[in-house]
Amino acid sequence: MPLLDVENVSKAFGSLRALDNVSFRVEPGEIFGIAGPNGSGKSTLFNTITGIPFGPDRGRIIFDGVDIHRKAGHEIARLGLARTFQRETSFDKLTVFENVLISATYSKANRSPEEQRRNAVEALDVVGLPRSSQGRLAEELSVFDRKCLMLATAVAMQPRLLLLDEPASGLTKPEIETSIELIRRISGLGVTILLIEHVLTFLMSLSQHLLVLNQGQVLALGDPRSIIADPRVVEAYLGTRKAAV
Amino acid sequence: MDWKREAALVLVAFAVLAFLPFVVPDSYSRHVLIMAFIYAVVASNWDLSLGYGGVFNFGHLALFGIGVYAYGLITKFAGIDPWLALVLSGAASTFAAIVVTIPILRLKGIYIILVTFGFAQLVMQIILSQSDYTGGTQGMVRIQTLYIPGVNLIRDGKFGYFYVALAILLTSTIFLRVLVRSKTGASIVALRDNEEYAISRGISLVRQRVITLAASAFFTGIAGAFYAAYQRNASVDVFGMSLATIILSMVLLGGTSTIYGAIAASFVLTIFAEFMADFGAWRPIITALLIIAVMLVYPAGLAGVWTHISNLVRAKSKKP
Repeated sequence: MPLLDVENVSKAFGSLRALDNVSFRVEPGEIFGIAGPNGSGKSTLFNTITGIPFGPDRGRIIFDGVDIHRKAGHEIARLGLARTFQRETSFDKLTVFENVLISATYSKANRSPEEQRRNAVEALDVVGLPRSSQGRLAEELSVFDRKCLMLATAVAMQPRLLLLDEPASGLTKPEIETSIELIRRISGLGVTILLIEHVLTFLMSLSQHLLVLNQGQVLALGDPRSIIADPRVVEAYLGTRKAAV
Repeated sequence: MDWKREAALVLVAFAVLAFLPFVVPDSYSRHVLIMAFIYAVVASNWDLSLGYGGVFNFGHLALFGIGVYAYGLITKFAGIDPWLALVLSGAASTFAAIVVTIPILRLKGIYIILVTFGFAQLVMQIILSQSDYTGGTQGMVRIQTLYIPGVNLIRDGKFGYFYVALAILLTSTIFLRVLVRSKTGASIVALRDNEEYAISRGISLVRQRVITLAASAFFTGIAGAFYAAYQRNASVDVFGMSLATIILSMVLLGGTSTIYGAIAASFVLTIFAEFMADFGAWRPIITALLIIAVMLVYPAGLAGVWTHISNLVRAKSKKP
């Protein structure tokens, strides 16, 4: 049974069809990449899956056997579906540890305070944020550390599925390499990952399956190597020879 | 600051306040302090929803007004014990806060101001329309006082009311500080800092907003009930912009998201207003100019002044 089953999902803003009958399945344990040019609907897809800030207009989203397309965002999160955002995001006026602790606290019921603290510490260790930074306010961290903190808050939720929205954006080359290692480490914990990325090499180095969106529609879906050789994908990214002239 | 040190400082501060009635020369000075305590409760609770929660709740003074009238009505028509009425008035304000939370759940910024301001006007109009019970524009008079066996609260030089007001302020302050230091407090701040991110981490917007507004209402309502028992009258003036502006000045001058800042500013502004009593119409002008001056130098308000002084002391103590 797939962990995530997206069936004919559509989302429109007025006359703009941001997502048009998008369907795909994500199997447990895999890293599933989503690519597409700017405005192709990648982030909108994440928004509709997580219900933050909106769900789909039409279609069904089944996560771990549960239909989530009408559930509130916090309920979806508590089912074990975590996400990150394109920009580095944090609770600026809380300390690094508080950021992670409240994620561990609110994402799952029936966890004792000791378990919550342990989850928070483990999550910070997974992303490699030093313990000395735990008492600092999140707003004092660098861009990369804030991205790591955002990942730590997601890991602290002990999710089954993690949606990563352009984790490499705004990072330097060495930071991107560290991010790739970090995503592999999280995947190694048994977390299924759905990864949006603009940089195809980043996606290629991580994904077992690749979906390409263009103007809200599925352009290609399958093995990453064959997908990037698909002329339609090349055209969507680079334009046709005629258009380029 | 760790909680043990904070608790020790709070106890010392309240011990000093408890000693004040024996230092100040007359009952009028004690009256000024009682009013400062009432304002401090209302302002610090407003800081919970406005500062920590980031909810522009401009109906906060309506919650105070509901406490005033709830106490007057309960003691007059239900004949309930004044102490129990005090608590029930807090509960009435809490209930009203929960009701007003529902329409503002999907709103942000200016729209929350509009709805909560409208809520305050609605409550005032209801009170005015029910003049058979509330006295309408005339208000309610001869409201029942509180009682302490063996103490005449009306003729004891305001000693009794002073300590009741101080006890309410102490209880409210402990409640607020424990709340904002808890995980619930952290989730309230998280929602303020980034609503979508907080929801993505499993925090329920509805639940936490209700908790924020309900928690900020309980002691505000009790303060209103105490005010009614102390003044022995209730008037719709408590719904006016004048009082709301004064209390909001206290929250902002003190520095939001501190609780203590709002309390300190309540003392400063209430006592300062008394010193300026002879200045007539110049009093609010001078007060406003001073608030602007403080905010320009210390945008974080009195809390910023405190941080600045603490840093100076720390730097000096580190020097060999």
